[in-house]
Amino acid sequence: MRILLIEDDIKTADFIARGLREAGHVCDVLPDGQDGLFHAIRETYDVYVVDRMLPGLDGLSIVRSMRAAGVKTPTLFLSAIAGIDDRVEGLEAGADDYLVKPFAFSELLARVNALARRPPAVAEKTVLQVADLTMDMMKRRVTRAGVEIELQPREFTLLEVLARNEGRVLTRTMLLERVWDFHFDPKTSVVETHISRLRGKIDKPFDVQLLHTIRNTGYSLHAPR
Amino acid sequence: MRRDNILRSSSFRLALIFSLMFISAFIVTGMIVYQLVRWELQQRQDQTIQETFAVIAAAYGDQDITDLLDTVQTYIKAAGDRQRVFSLVDPSGKVLAGNIPDLKFPEGWSSIDGDEMQLPDDRQYRIFSGAVDGNRLTVGLSRRETENIEAIMLQSFGWASIIVLLLAVSGGGLIALRVQRRFGAVRSTMEHVARGNLNARIPIVGRGDDVDLLSHDINDALARLAATVEGMRQVSADIAHDLKSPLNRLKMTVNEALAKQESGQAVITELEAASAEADRINETFEALLRIAQIEAGARKSRFGKLDLGDILQSLADIYSSVAEDNGQRIQSSLDQPGEIIWGDRELLTQMYANLIENAIRHCPTGTDIVIRSEADAEMITTWVEDNGPGIPEREHGNVFRRLYRLEKSRTSPGNGLGLSLVKAIADLHGARILMENSEPGLRIKIVFPRIDQ
Repeated sequence: MRILLIEDDIKTADFIARGLREAGHVCDVLPDGQDGLFHAIRETYDVYVVDRMLPGLDGLSIVRSMRAAGVKTPTLFLSAIAGIDDRVEGLEAGADDYLVKPFAFSELLARVNALARRPPAVAEKTVLQVADLTMDMMKRRVTRAGVEIELQPREFTLLEVLARNEGRVLTRTMLLERVWDFHFDPKTSVVETHISRLRGKIDKPFDVQLLHTIRNTGYSLHAPR
Repeated sequence: MRRDNILRSSSFRLALIFSLMFISAFIVTGMIVYQLVRWELQQRQDQTIQETFAVIAAAYGDQDITDLLDTVQTYIKAAGDRQRVFSLVDPSGKVLAGNIPDLKFPEGWSSIDGDEMQLPDDRQYRIFSGAVDGNRLTVGLSRRETENIEAIMLQSFGWASIIVLLLAVSGGGLIALRVQRRFGAVRSTMEHVARGNLNARIPIVGRGDDVDLLSHDINDALARLAATVEGMRQVSADIAHDLKSPLNRLKMTVNEALAKQESGQAVITELEAASAEADRINETFEALLRIAQIEAGARKSRFGKLDLGDILQSLADIYSSVAEDNGQRIQSSLDQPGEIIWGDRELLTQMYANLIENAIRHCPTGTDIVIRSEADAEMITTWVEDNGPGIPEREHGNVFRRLYRLEKSRTSPGNGLGLSLVKAIADLHGARILMENSEPGLRIKIVFPRIDQ
């Protein structure tokens, strides 16, 4: 993937770019807001990663101008400001996702991957299929290998988010945001508890494991590779 | 602070403008009155002349000129000082009687100066001349009388003007001074504030006038500002205090790793410890900033109508499995649909999540956790209650303090900011927090005022 990183802190930019390249992506780095915007509009990339505070032009203005110019490329906002309104402001400006510094690189990578492969906004599928697991969204029914599985509402949502992102890694924070709508870090094992219960229902009784734990990163639902 | 200058103050200018307007109005009115009276006096003078003329003319009967002549002469005699002038001229131009020379007065009204008629009084005379059977009778009256009255009028008007001017200026000045004094109080308070004394307040006079209202608003803003500054100061102190020791620990761990590295040992344990310590530092830092922002009221712009029962129900659902895995039980008794309040969903979710997580983390296996809501006409009461070990009553007031941790929870993870955040969010929503002993256990009530729908 071609990724444009607009970030003025050399150390951070280096760290991110190196990590992205190691993960097999092409990464261009620009330290200045105005250059960044110019580049973002002229060139074609798969994902933009934009820091919020930049010399020349700040991140919010870049994203706004980019969207105004009709550039629809998925954009991840990076910010050192942990302000409670900043996430909302960033998303309102047109960013697709938001990550607060400091972050683990695996978190950034997972989010960039999720953004890049985000399917175009078409009508959502009503039947999700992962290997022999089937989710019927209309009837809210889950079956695996023909066996019906009973899920609690929250477990159903969790499975839906995982199934819609089949093969991708979803971090704990991403799951908290998408399944529970929590924008804080809970002090108890909310995610772990629900994952373990879900696993007990969709994986335990069967031979093949679908729900995988990716160490130090998150979770992923996919057929065995 | 710039020196007070009464002449530059807006109240004085206002008073001055008002006085000038008042004086102008007085002068214009005075001029109109003067002109009206003058015109009226002249009308009356003309009327007197015409009446005298009519009386004299009436003495002329049956072509008998003698009676007319006598009458004119009687009048002339009576008007010794020649304030009144008369003249009777026959058709041939011969002066029959008169105390003025015949100046061939035109028919009807005319005004002629006294010296033209060789009179000692050089004032203007008003003259009426008319024919009485061929003879020309002229009657005139000096303007002296009316001019005297006019002069008296002008004089008294002048004095009145001076008095009005003095009253207007001194009254305006007085009002200006009083307003100035009150604004002076505002200015000196603001000067104190500018010098850093955020506790200075403008004295309220209590009349409830606009200056009082303004002072009230300024005082409110100052109180808010002082609270924010105090919060920020508190945060800086907290950060300095509570981040210093973890930073020290971090440095020690890194040093240890460096020493081990030199002697060729593996340093993975130290690096992991350092990473975890850095995460904790960051978490504490973020929580402190978040609390400070909430306390400053920055989040109010995102308020909307929301269902409290809805938030509580969904949290009860989420945490019941967490509690179950912990050997505890969550019960909820909620009004469905719940009560509508004005608030921020994200913050309220975090607030209740904090309370529920506290109960889960600090209570032993077998504890029951109850989430309830109840509403009456005035307020909506929500509570999270457990039958765990509780908190000693003397500590109830302390636990909402930033970074305060009970001795026994020092060893468990946490930064001592959870309840401070709860308090900040409750305050933002105008809700009260009550901490009660539920014998055994802890009950935390959050009481919202009911909004008008």
